[in-house]
Amino acid sequence: MNLKFKNKKISGILSILPEKEIRFEDELDSYNFSRSQSMKLKLIMGYDKRRVVLEGTTPSDLCVFGLNYLFDNGHLAKDDIDALVMINQVPDHFMPATTQVIQGKLGLKHDLYCVDIPQACAGYPMGLNQAFMLLEQEEINKVVVLNAELLSLKVSPSDRGSRPLTGDAAAITIVENDPEGGPIYGTVNFDGSRADTLIIPAGGAKIPSNEKTAEMTTDRNGNSRALNHMVMKGDAVFNFVLNEVPEMIETLLTYAGSTKEEVDYFMCHQPNRFVLKKLADKLKVPYEKMPYNIVELFGNSCSPTLAVNLTHNLSEKLVNDSLLVCLAGFGAGLSWTSLLMKMGNLDFCETINYN
Amino acid sequence: MENFETSISEILEVDSVELTDELESFDAWDSLTILSIIALCDDEYGVTLSADEINDAETINGLKELIKSKI
Repeated sequence: MNLKFKNKKISGILSILPEKEIRFEDELDSYNFSRSQSMKLKLIMGYDKRRVVLEGTTPSDLCVFGLNYLFDNGHLAKDDIDALVMINQVPDHFMPATTQVIQGKLGLKHDLYCVDIPQACAGYPMGLNQAFMLLEQEEINKVVVLNAELLSLKVSPSDRGSRPLTGDAAAITIVENDPEGGPIYGTVNFDGSRADTLIIPAGGAKIPSNEKTAEMTTDRNGNSRALNHMVMKGDAVFNFVLNEVPEMIETLLTYAGSTKEEVDYFMCHQPNRFVLKKLADKLKVPYEKMPYNIVELFGNSCSPTLAVNLTHNLSEKLVNDSLLVCLAGFGAGLSWTSLLMKMGNLDFCETINYN
Repeated sequence: MENFETSISEILEVDSVELTDELESFDAWDSLTILSIIALCDDEYGVTLSADEINDAETINGLKELIKSKI
């Protein structure tokens, strides 16, 4: 589905990364593979460093930390927030919504629109879409989009396919009306028939957590995990990304009447180095225009990763210049989403550590 | 498909392969190798393969026939 918005802008982006860093080489013994196999994987996939929270930390903790940073530095005033949008798959609690946990912790006004959207790696454009729609309301002038995922808590320590690339992060994106804002084009696609491609089987109503769902079993590739853990069909995800994402971006550009050459940067969700390089090759986009360095530096944190990609790689340019940027997310659902928009002259575009 | 054996040898980190070689007999055979084969087939032949299909192909010849059947 194609989407179009006008007179909207992003005015600031903040990424929040836990201070604790884990190196792939330090945890090779957790996996059932030879050292040489793992080192090859490091080279090709970009497994290296990743950031994770200490146990007991919640998505709302990272968001509150980041929002307080914005309040303290004069980037945001509490009373100016008219809506909180949260993109998150593993919340603080099943009940109530995490946006309201945050509202309560910060003492935000009651006259606030709170909405939580359970989306994973395709979630960053989804949060922006929701903000653009909310800004059509007369009483909503400033939307705070939150992306927060602590997926390290849901990935098995003995799953070499997922564990070494999983990181934790949160991001805060401020979205406002802009009378001068040009058109913003978007696409969203969903395919629930492939829901089991990326799934946490237990913990919900279908399979409540119990002693059995915590039992570890080993698959044919030598990875061990329990039903409480996230399971990813790596080959199906790879084929999904290479088949659907180039087509989505071509559709978006056609809809917007733009060309690849006009786009300054293709900022994608960051699953791993291998798939991103293949994606750039297939789209015939130079690697300089499609960064793929986030997994090796910080890990893949689901929807916040796209914000980390922006704040880590384009911070200076997004504060000082104006760029035509294509955003693309893709992941569990399956969902794949994109936006083409002018971004720039941001009030802030930073990465901070959570401690 | 004339470069197939050469490309597969590179992925399997050997000088050459025989059509009768069993896939699981190679030292380099693991999930990453399978992903590399999926990427090769997408790149070179415009063919989409799954990990299960590749495992079920059993031999180099089986893999070659699998790709041919999808071109």
